[in-house]
Amino acid sequence: MADTNSQFNSRWLPIALALPQLLLIFLFFYVPIYMAFFWSLSLERPFGGGAEFVGLQNYARVLNDAEFWKATWRTVVFMLIGSSLAVILPLILAVAADRRVRLAYPARNVLVWPKAVAGASIGVVFLFIFNPFIGILAPLNEVYPGLWQPGLDGTDAFIMLIIAHVWGGIPFNFVILLAGLQAVPQSFHHSAAMDGASAWRRVRDIQIPMVLPQLFLVFVLEFTESVTAAFGLIDAMTQGGPGGATTLLVYKIYVDGFKGYDLSGAATQSVILMVFVLSLAAVQFFILERKIRYER
Amino acid sequence: MQPASIAAEIALDAVEKSFGNTPVIPPLSATLGAGEFTVVLGPSGCGKSTLLNMIAGLEPVSAGRIRIDGQEVQDWEPKDRGCAMVFQNYALYPHMTVAENIGYALKVAGIARAERQQRVEGAARVVQLGDLLDRRPGQLSGGQRQRVAIARAIVREPRVLLFDEPLSNLDAKLRHGMRMELSHLHRRIGATSVFVTHDQVEAMTLADKVLILNEGRIEQFGTPHEIYHFPASLFVAGFIGAPAMNLIEVEGDGTALRLPDGTALAGSAHRGRAVLGIRPEKLRIAEDGLPATIVYREDLGSHAVLVVRLGSGQEINVSTPLGGDTVAADQLSLHLPEAHVHLFDPASGQRLNVTQGQVR
Ligand SMILES: Nc1ncnc2c1ncn2[C@@H]1O[C@H](COP(=O)(O)OP(=O)(O)OP(=O)(O)O)[C@@H](O)[C@H]1O
Ligand SMILES: [Mg+2]
Repeated sequence: MADTNSQFNSRWLPIALALPQLLLIFLFFYVPIYMAFFWSLSLERPFGGGAEFVGLQNYARVLNDAEFWKATWRTVVFMLIGSSLAVILPLILAVAADRRVRLAYPARNVLVWPKAVAGASIGVVFLFIFNPFIGILAPLNEVYPGLWQPGLDGTDAFIMLIIAHVWGGIPFNFVILLAGLQAVPQSFHHSAAMDGASAWRRVRDIQIPMVLPQLFLVFVLEFTESVTAAFGLIDAMTQGGPGGATTLLVYKIYVDGFKGYDLSGAATQSVILMVFVLSLAAVQFFILERKIRYER
Repeated sequence: MQPASIAAEIALDAVEKSFGNTPVIPPLSATLGAGEFTVVLGPSGCGKSTLLNMIAGLEPVSAGRIRIDGQEVQDWEPKDRGCAMVFQNYALYPHMTVAENIGYALKVAGIARAERQQRVEGAARVVQLGDLLDRRPGQLSGGQRQRVAIARAIVREPRVLLFDEPLSNLDAKLRHGMRMELSHLHRRIGATSVFVTHDQVEAMTLADKVLILNEGRIEQFGTPHEIYHFPASLFVAGFIGAPAMNLIEVEGDGTALRLPDGTALAGSAHRGRAVLGIRPEKLRIAEDGLPATIVYREDLGSHAVLVVRLGSGQEINVSTPLGGDTVAADQLSLHLPEAHVHLFDPASGQRLNVTQGQVR
């Protein structure tokens, strides 16, 4: 590299320039991953001290635990519903903004604001909004007492979690999809209009196929992110309750590790979660992306 | 493909367009004959595309009426007007195959698959696309894409075919070929065609009628012959022809048109200031006449273009057959045949000599 690339005289300069970043990635990404693998294969004592190598015993224990499977199931449900909504809703908004419906311009700005808000803060805000006594859904309870009880009803809590998650996901996905839609040349709209396609037909036949690369990107990011990003929301809103209804895998890991001091169990589940996320992304890339490559 | 789709007359009646407060097309009226090939010609930004889009229904008119085949269509949806359009960048849907591109309009119209396929193949045959139907647009050359775009336009057998600079992305050789094909195609299909371009060669070769547009106004609407031989205004005179018509400011004294220094250029009964126009190829090299100095010579193979300087200092173009007496000379004298002299009003730019110069 050094002899073909004339921009750097020394072979060490580029490496030195990249070193701080490499160091950070190494310290905060690869080391923890390595530690998690290591811990998942050993029995850690809650207050430190000698670890004991136990092979795959931790995995056997975790995989035989009904709670683990429940949390995994909730994670999958959350991922499918939450991510789909977090992509479809911004898609609808982006199509509307691209068509320059009324108020599209102010909406475009307002829609980007949530991006600046941290997950936990979103959680706190939504906790107020969805408060059964003072929130926006409180009137529901006056008409049908007990209809909206996120503090008591697991389904309500789960719905609340998904709404908060989707809301937080709108800005990024909206911006990406809108950029994709706006890159579709005007002449395609004209051409399809001449071909007799109605506005809706054009969305379906022309616009969505042409933003498939962007849709694919946001789906991949959403799917992989929703699995872990829910932590801040859960911690701020429900702490996994009521009755464990919102205990997704990522929150269970935290509870097991830091509340239950089951470090090995938590590490094992972390490794499983990581493998799950990685294979998810890999499947999406290898299978889906192949189908949507075309030139503009 | 049946040869005759029903051609329709297009009547523009005081059609107007402004974007916000910017007027782009002041009231404009013209009638494009049924089955005719009309070329809309004008410099960039003069409103050609806007005019075409208004006929197609892609831009609403600000005022006025558009009638196609006698029906007022200015408030109709594009699909109901019976027009099809070929776009400058082709606008082929990249995610559909060639066959799907051509057949999309039929699919939207709900035509059964079997008939659709038959008509797609028919249209593809007309533009000689036969074995490319399963490709994607990304896998085609510029000329092939052009054919797909045309096939897509003719597959619905439209009453009106609209073209927005369809050849401008092709190289010179391909352009010539496509010009010929378009001309043949028009004769075969017979739909009323409106073709927008800023290339005068395309206009002269393709058109039955040329509509010359300048800042949204019609400068002249006539056959290529009329446009070339009887330009209605200074704008048309300067726009059509390569090299451009020579335009010389003169003063008429009732017997002759004179340069400011008094040299007589041609006989005329005109009195007062005027702009004299004469095409470079109509200037004759004569024994005695207007003296001129050759300042530059371009040999183009078939003919030569000389840039000569008149006594007044003005430089004009002279187009001459090659060889002969001009080769070595640096001086020559010119004769301006009266029949080929065009006179224009310097203020309004309008043609002055209506009857003069009508030589075919
Ligand atoms: N959507 C629009 N909003 C405002 N002004 C516009 C719009 N579309 C076109 N114009 C203006 O209208 C005028 C005519 O535009 P038009 O596209 O019809 O020109 P044209 O003759 O097709 O030019 P070209 O040969 O470059 O394609 C231009 O001055 C252009 O700036
Ligand atoms: Mg144009």
